[in-house]
Amino acid sequence: MFGRSRSWVGGGHGKSSRNIHSLDHLKYLYHVLTKNTTVTEQNRNLLVETIRSITEILIWGDQNDSSVFDFFLEKNMFVFFLNILRQRSGRYVCVQLLQTLNILFENISHETSLYYLLSNNYVNSIIVHKFDFSDEEIMAYYISFLKTLSLKLNNHTVHFFYNEHTNDFALYTEAIKFFNHPESMVRIAVRTITLNVYKVSLDNQAMLHYIRDKTAVPYFSNLVWFIGSHVIELDNCVQTDEEHRNRGKLSDLVAEHLDHLHYLNDILIINCEFLNDVLTDHLLNRLFLPLYVYSLENQDKGGERPKISLPVSLYLLSQVFLIIHHAPLVNSLAEVILNGDLSETYAKPEQDVQRSCAKPSIRCFIKPTETLERSLEMNKHKGKRRVQKRPNYKNVGEEEDEEKGPAEDAQEDAEKAKGTEGGSKGTKTSGENEEIEMVIMERSKLPELAAGTSVQEQNTTDEEKSAATGLESAQWSRPFLDMVYHALDSPDDDYHALFVLCLLYAMSHNKGMDPEKLERIQLPVPSAAEKTAYNHLLAERLIRIMNSAAQPDGKIRLATLELSCLLLKQQVVTSTGCIIKDVHLACLEGAREESVHLVRHFYKGEEIFLDMFEDEYRSMTMKPMNVEYLMMDASILLPPTGTPLTGIDFVKRLPCGDVEKTRRAIRVFFMLRSLSLQLRGEPETQLPLTREEDLIKTDDVLDLNNSDLIACTVITKDGGMLQRFLAVDIYQMSLVEPDVSRLGWGVVKFAGLLQDMQVTGVEDDSRALNITIHKPASSPHSKPFPILQATFIFSDHIRCIIAKQRLAKGRIQARRMKMQRIAALLDLPIQPTTEVLGFGLGSSSSQHLPFRFYDQCRRGSSDPTVQRSVFASVDKVPGFAVAQCINQHSSSSLSSPSPSASGSPSGSGSTSHCDSGGASSSSTPSAAQSPADELPTAEQPQPNLPDQLVIVSETEADTRPSKSLAKSADAEPVSLSPSLIPAQQPTISLLCEDTADTLSVESLTLVPPVDPCSLRTLAGIPPPPTPAVADTGAPGEGTAPQEPAGPAEH
Amino acid sequence: MAYAYLFKYIIIGDTGVGKSCLLLQFTDKRFQPVHDLTIGVEFGARMITIDGKQIKLQIWDTAGQESFRSITRSYYRGAAGALLVYDITRRDTFNHLTTWLEDARQHSNSNMVIMLIGNKSDLESRREVKKEEGEAFAREHGLIFMETSAKTASNVEEAFINTAKEIYEKIQEGVFDINNEANGIKIGPQHAATNATHAGSLFLRLAAQTGPLAHSLTLSSCPAET
Repeated sequence: MFGRSRSWVGGGHGKSSRNIHSLDHLKYLYHVLTKNTTVTEQNRNLLVETIRSITEILIWGDQNDSSVFDFFLEKNMFVFFLNILRQRSGRYVCVQLLQTLNILFENISHETSLYYLLSNNYVNSIIVHKFDFSDEEIMAYYISFLKTLSLKLNNHTVHFFYNEHTNDFALYTEAIKFFNHPESMVRIAVRTITLNVYKVSLDNQAMLHYIRDKTAVPYFSNLVWFIGSHVIELDNCVQTDEEHRNRGKLSDLVAEHLDHLHYLNDILIINCEFLNDVLTDHLLNRLFLPLYVYSLENQDKGGERPKISLPVSLYLLSQVFLIIHHAPLVNSLAEVILNGDLSETYAKPEQDVQRSCAKPSIRCFIKPTETLERSLEMNKHKGKRRVQKRPNYKNVGEEEDEEKGPAEDAQEDAEKAKGTEGGSKGTKTSGENEEIEMVIMERSKLPELAAGTSVQEQNTTDEEKSAATGLESAQWSRPFLDMVYHALDSPDDDYHALFVLCLLYAMSHNKGMDPEKLERIQLPVPSAAEKTAYNHLLAERLIRIMNSAAQPDGKIRLATLELSCLLLKQQVVTSTGCIIKDVHLACLEGAREESVHLVRHFYKGEEIFLDMFEDEYRSMTMKPMNVEYLMMDASILLPPTGTPLTGIDFVKRLPCGDVEKTRRAIRVFFMLRSLSLQLRGEPETQLPLTREEDLIKTDDVLDLNNSDLIACTVITKDGGMLQRFLAVDIYQMSLVEPDVSRLGWGVVKFAGLLQDMQVTGVEDDSRALNITIHKPASSPHSKPFPILQATFIFSDHIRCIIAKQRLAKGRIQARRMKMQRIAALLDLPIQPTTEVLGFGLGSSSSQHLPFRFYDQCRRGSSDPTVQRSVFASVDKVPGFAVAQCINQHSSSSLSSPSPSASGSPSGSGSTSHCDSGGASSSSTPSAAQSPADELPTAEQPQPNLPDQLVIVSETEADTRPSKSLAKSADAEPVSLSPSLIPAQQPTISLLCEDTADTLSVESLTLVPPVDPCSLRTLAGIPPPPTPAVADTGAPGEGTAPQEPAGPAEH
Repeated sequence: MAYAYLFKYIIIGDTGVGKSCLLLQFTDKRFQPVHDLTIGVEFGARMITIDGKQIKLQIWDTAGQESFRSITRSYYRGAAGALLVYDITRRDTFNHLTTWLEDARQHSNSNMVIMLIGNKSDLESRREVKKEEGEAFAREHGLIFMETSAKTASNVEEAFINTAKEIYEKIQEGVFDINNEANGIKIGPQHAATNATHAGSLFLRLAAQTGPLAHSLTLSSCPAET
């Protein structure tokens, strides 16, 4: 339709589109307008298109030819627009006109053009035109029009909108009438307009006075009421919730509240002092104090006073402190929360409520007596009446009060009188606000003063005064704070505690907060330079939370625990050290110990424990708690639940099922461990299990003399073909190419973790392997990303099998070693470890040693040569040492008829199963072995050092054992982490392998659930005595024995 | 004017990438981008048809309001779809996408459909961002992608309509809670009739859609707007 209309206007003109953009064409259009002053059904389309074309010409003229504007102005063409509008010409014309105006004002770039358009006040006439706002499209275009205009506001243009003499500011007053429009986009536009206006008003005193004196009170009081009504609805939503069904609505209401707070904060940070005073006053005394803070107190008190439930009030207050940083506001608010209304609450608790209500002009959440629209109307007239008088918004307030009627009482009058007095006296006109601020400030001094005489400032009676005096001695006469602490005590769950912690956190991190306020309750701000004391009461409660979090059936959510740790750290850690009292530290250590026990409980059971362990560590360190985000989540407003079916984030609910319980236990352990280390001033040396700096990286140059290197051709997915040597280190596989400068050395071109590798054979090529290495997902949303996906081709199938075997065993080995490191962390005896079952089968003897060996080299010294030597050592031929071991312990329990193959596992053929084995293997053994076995195993007498020595010297012997593991593995696929997915692969016989050990028959078959030999080995291996290791003379060993092994620590 | 659904969109992206021009191009064909005249608009509405259903799109440009945090976050939350626009001739506008996207994900509801748009595809000679890069970014972040030109109108329709299709599909799958207007989706009058919770507002909506002329009549004769 539009297309058509275009053409027929053009046609009517009888010219080509060439000069549609020209003064002439505008003249023609003017002609059309004069001929069609009355809108009819017939000329509607013509008029709409004419207006549209005029707009286009004006925009063109703005950029190209100013004479267009002269003509527009000269002919007063805007009048036609207005004229058409006023004919009630229907929505079609209305919408078109508004859209046109939008486009016009949006695209005009020259200030002078803008002045042309704005002069003559026609725009204001359009703004006040009574459109049919029930039509959503008209409403949307209208409010967009106002928004566009507000974006054009500046020091010069503002005079076209604000008329000092008539006290008219239609753009602003018309806009705010829609502040509570049901359509969210309209409300947002209103907020944008007001913010734009406030910003400009900074430089315009007259306008500022107008806004403050004539509009601020009506607008802010209505706004505050609007917010409060939403809050009550929100509370209602929480109260009436069943089975979390209200969550959708709840999260909208919470988001709405956040929007409001951000909006208020945006106003406050414009930093217009006059406005901020009024706004702060309203927020404090009409909303935050009466509705939020007073609800903290005993819920039964208060009669009819509107109130909200405790958790909701704590939650909302946290949001307030997280978002709003305006110093006068947050300090006054904190003052009341922390120091309460001593005089009133303590002395006469019964009266307190009444009193707070009895001063409605100060502290009451009440509905404004008239609509915003009416208030604005009244003010306008009033403005005209008393145009001579110095404007004072307090007067406005009075008038409002007069109409309030029954709600009033004598006290209010008194208050009001005072306020007026103050207002007229002060140079600043915001008397009422000052008065209130003063009152609060005075109260805050109470604790320091000998007697509460300063309370006198308000209308306290004498008896109250004396009561207040008596109070001074009472330590905890702070009802709100009391309540806050009390909420931390709840033994059953952490529903309230989480909010309390958030509130304390938010207050202490608030930039506007006066540190002294917090110091009074010994809650230091994070940046506090020196601390000498901390709040014992709070610290004890925090530690209690930590303690119950470490219980098996603890009802503490991870978020609560993390916050507790944060707050405790904030309290006791100073720049110079930690000031925590020994007794508290001891309690904390107790909690940590509990958490170790808790994880141990899961250590044996979960086959994917390692992956979970590392994954939890990653997600915990990469995503530290963001309290602001936490408090944006409405789901925590409902009582804590355990089921993931709610979609609630794991850290914000209780665990469900064993896997989640394990994850939770691991996290609790990490958090308490890190806290404990930090408080004791010790560095973390054991976590993460794999540290970036310990790994071989691309472009490292390694001494590969004496290393086993397998030449291969790597064909990447995109078809690239590279000649590389494959080398397998303890944790990693790497692809190297020879270093041209040093013979026998190699440059690493790729290095990837063995534990995350999948190896599969290639069906029709016995010389080839497919190898994939995934990088663990860095965030819950991202997919695991393959860092290597390639086909490796070896020179012959033997090399291929060797490579495959080495990789497969390396993978298992790497995982097993990590499991042992975890065991060390958990103070479990590192070794035979029935716990490691799947991983540890048959191997452990050799395992822990290389591990330590490696550990020392890597962590103990950063000397690259040492590292290299480790690397090199890997490739020594596997030893008989293992075999010896087996012999030695062959007597141990659980023997089975199976052959001894595993002991001298030349990497046996398990190959085919190897890959899958590493992942899933543990399940079978763990099932097979009863927990009872653990004890004996663990307590095995420390056998022969000799064996150990041998083993040590053969650091690499390690590889062997893994195969037995694989054997016993039950190749059931566990689809959990990518690294765990067992690769499907063809069975490749290993019989031909040229290792010293021959494969036992069953090593080739998947089945046997328990490999007796390996078990024996397991059982037999003693905890590695440290000295023994040292003796072995491994390089770098002596340097820094960072013994990961647990027992020593006890 | 009757519609089955109303979808609210927002347009985001750096300044100067052509957001408001895209919007005008889509909502009002009469402003042909010829004559080297760049015209844009901050709000627009248009009716489209998907699956035989009339769907009204309401598009809000957020330009010029970035300095107020409250405004941006509210806009995001109220929208069912977002067009994230960059300029293929300006690398920096592409580099800023991550920030925009983070912002959007942070504040919007999780179902919001985001369409990535590389605008100014007519300026091939000055191209700084390859189409493949846009595609890769979109794939990585789960967005729909398209290159458009507000100037030649190429792909502009498609960009808006495909976004709407995606939202529509999500509605069919029951992903969106359509009874919750905070999601940026509104049910049209005749649909609301089947929906008890909307019965209250039904009356007004019906009044609103009976057309311009009938409309004033309806309003004046209707007893109450309560």
